[in-house]
Amino acid sequence: MIYLLAGNPNVGKSTFFNGMTQSHVHVGNYSGVTVEKRVHHIKNYPGANLVDLPGTYNVSPNSQDEGVVTYSLLNESYKGLINIIDSTHLKRNLHLSIQLLELGTPTLMVFNLKDALINNGYIIDTKKVEQFLNVNAISVSARERNKDDQDLVVERLKELTPHKALKLDYPAAVEKGIRDIHDLLRHDIFQVKKKWIALQLLEGNEGIYQYLDLHKEEDIRRIVENVEKEVLKENIALSLKGAIFNTRRAFIEEIIEECLIQVEEKEHSKYFNQKVDRFITHPVYGIPLFMAIMFSIYQISFGRFLGLGNALTGYFELFWDNILVNYTAQLFEAIGLSGFMYGLVINGILAGIGGVLVFLPQIVVLFTLIAILEGTGYMARVAIMMDRFLSKFGFNGKSIVPIITGFGCTVPAIMATRTIADKRERILTILTIPFISCSARLPIYGLIVSKIFDSYQGLIIFGIYLLGIFVTLFSAKLLNLTYFKGEGSKFLLEVPPYRMPQIRTVLYQSLEKAKRFVKKAGTFILIGSMILWILANNGFDGFNVNPDESFLALIAGGIKFIFAPLGFGTWEATSSLISGFLAKEVVASSLEILFAGDIAGAFTISSGLAYVVFASLYIPCISTVATIKAETQSTKWTLFSVIYPFFVAYILAGTVYLILHVGFGL
Amino acid sequence: MNITKMIKLQKGIIESLSRIEKEFRKRLMDLGVYEGADVILLNVLSGGNLYLIEVDDIEICLRKEDASLIEVTI
Repeated sequence: MIYLLAGNPNVGKSTFFNGMTQSHVHVGNYSGVTVEKRVHHIKNYPGANLVDLPGTYNVSPNSQDEGVVTYSLLNESYKGLINIIDSTHLKRNLHLSIQLLELGTPTLMVFNLKDALINNGYIIDTKKVEQFLNVNAISVSARERNKDDQDLVVERLKELTPHKALKLDYPAAVEKGIRDIHDLLRHDIFQVKKKWIALQLLEGNEGIYQYLDLHKEEDIRRIVENVEKEVLKENIALSLKGAIFNTRRAFIEEIIEECLIQVEEKEHSKYFNQKVDRFITHPVYGIPLFMAIMFSIYQISFGRFLGLGNALTGYFELFWDNILVNYTAQLFEAIGLSGFMYGLVINGILAGIGGVLVFLPQIVVLFTLIAILEGTGYMARVAIMMDRFLSKFGFNGKSIVPIITGFGCTVPAIMATRTIADKRERILTILTIPFISCSARLPIYGLIVSKIFDSYQGLIIFGIYLLGIFVTLFSAKLLNLTYFKGEGSKFLLEVPPYRMPQIRTVLYQSLEKAKRFVKKAGTFILIGSMILWILANNGFDGFNVNPDESFLALIAGGIKFIFAPLGFGTWEATSSLISGFLAKEVVASSLEILFAGDIAGAFTISSGLAYVVFASLYIPCISTVATIKAETQSTKWTLFSVIYPFFVAYILAGTVYLILHVGFGL
Repeated sequence: MNITKMIKLQKGIIESLSRIEKEFRKRLMDLGVYEGADVILLNVLSGGNLYLIEVDDIEICLRKEDASLIEVTI
């Protein structure tokens, strides 16, 4: 049994989904967090699955993520719909509800944000809604994860029954259009009502043509055109869509009149928001404020002063080296294990995984702080502030969400570009996002920067992040001037109210990041470390050869000359970069294994910094390349996404080395 | 008269969206911006480049060039 979860963007669908299924998908206080559908079973309701669909204002799609909704309604099999409604924005939310109710599928309307509505001095009379719309309706606060509310949802889902499709009185011309299209479709078989399809076609839902194989597309388009002419001639509205919209809006006013009850006179908190917003998005103070906030976050995560993350990592490193590795080694010696197995476990696996895993506390601190920021609604203000700036580089206003996601992991960031309707802007964003430093690159920075610098680590790592952003912007501008010429598309953003971030959500989100990080350590890095250690300790002369005669030294030695101008032309540094194609963390684990922990001796300040710059910007990892191929559907752009970063990284790392080494003698 | 000519916190009624191109008009309507709706200019942000308006119960931010195409009556 499948239930589909549909609703406008940023109404708390994912929060509701997490509560009902006890899973932890990412949530945030801005639109476009969910871009693909996700499925999970509902707790306390055996055999039932919930599908979280991307948020949409309308069944008819504007971008690819919204197309998922039309597709699911038309082609998936499901038992019922759950429509999540933001109770504080009924006028807009109910447009989608009406389209869903017109389907006639069993539907449960869930009026979310009950607490916020009560704060505004209102309640929703769900009994009246049920009578008025002939549907099932309840009102909840999904973020409270109230068990009674969740039980109520399950109970109501179990007794969900089909209801008659909602029928509004559209203008005569529209009704005639519905009948005409319905006639044309008479021999086709669909799982949804033909009248609904007809109405959607009149509204201009291109997704229907795309997902259903309509033989009479031309005839249908002619009818739609004629109805549009009729609407204009009779002066019903300025467009056919407008005529349908107006009928629905009038009906929505009736619903609100009947069902929304004011219980208390409250003053709007809105005008407080205005002053804060004006300051936060101020053309002069806004950007420095944002930079200061981000810098503090990096300082707390990586710096010495205020360095919570740094201190935790220090303790973790002590535990790993002095206790885990030390006692394992003693145990091995006690049972007489030496040679190959001893080396593989102690110097290969434990060294490699340890080199990456010690940065776990810093990553948890960083993402906890970012999750807090996301929950408040500040990110939407950043999008506002950045709009003018980003549009100069050919980015869409909506690019800000993928860019922010990119600091976590590039793969979901590329998928988040599905909300960008314009294809050129979408590809431009996809191609430039890998330059944003993802969390997998952090261990590389941490490892090298902490070993070759005594102070200013927070500042240096923040600088590397800024470099990533700068290269992203520069590359976007370059693509915008050459291949993707044209004006940036429109900016239109719904501004969410400020909300207090929830401790539980924040903790779950950073826990999720931590889990993914540890999982990668247990898979990619484990296997990578084993292969690397074996290749580094075996050669044509067998086991335990001089490392410089190992297979790895022979392979990487062949191409290490490429990196000599950048200051790190050793086979160890080169092979770490090659293995980093698996996953960026593997660069750090490989360095740890091959240099046997002596990073400080392997790099100078200039070659170390050049290495960090190169590793930060060069070829994206294999998962990213696969995602780029899947999302762009283009071999050409996938190749570009591999080759272009290599050259950019080479030039920038070379410049860094040249300036520091030749210029300052470091 | 268009939105950019309004005074902060002034109320008006949207008279026409016809100067806006079709695709963008569809997106505005999806968000609940329609002819005949009450509109309040809440704020002018980012040094006069962005206009934050309230239509019904939603707050929307648009660029100056788009806001100037929305005709209103006070």
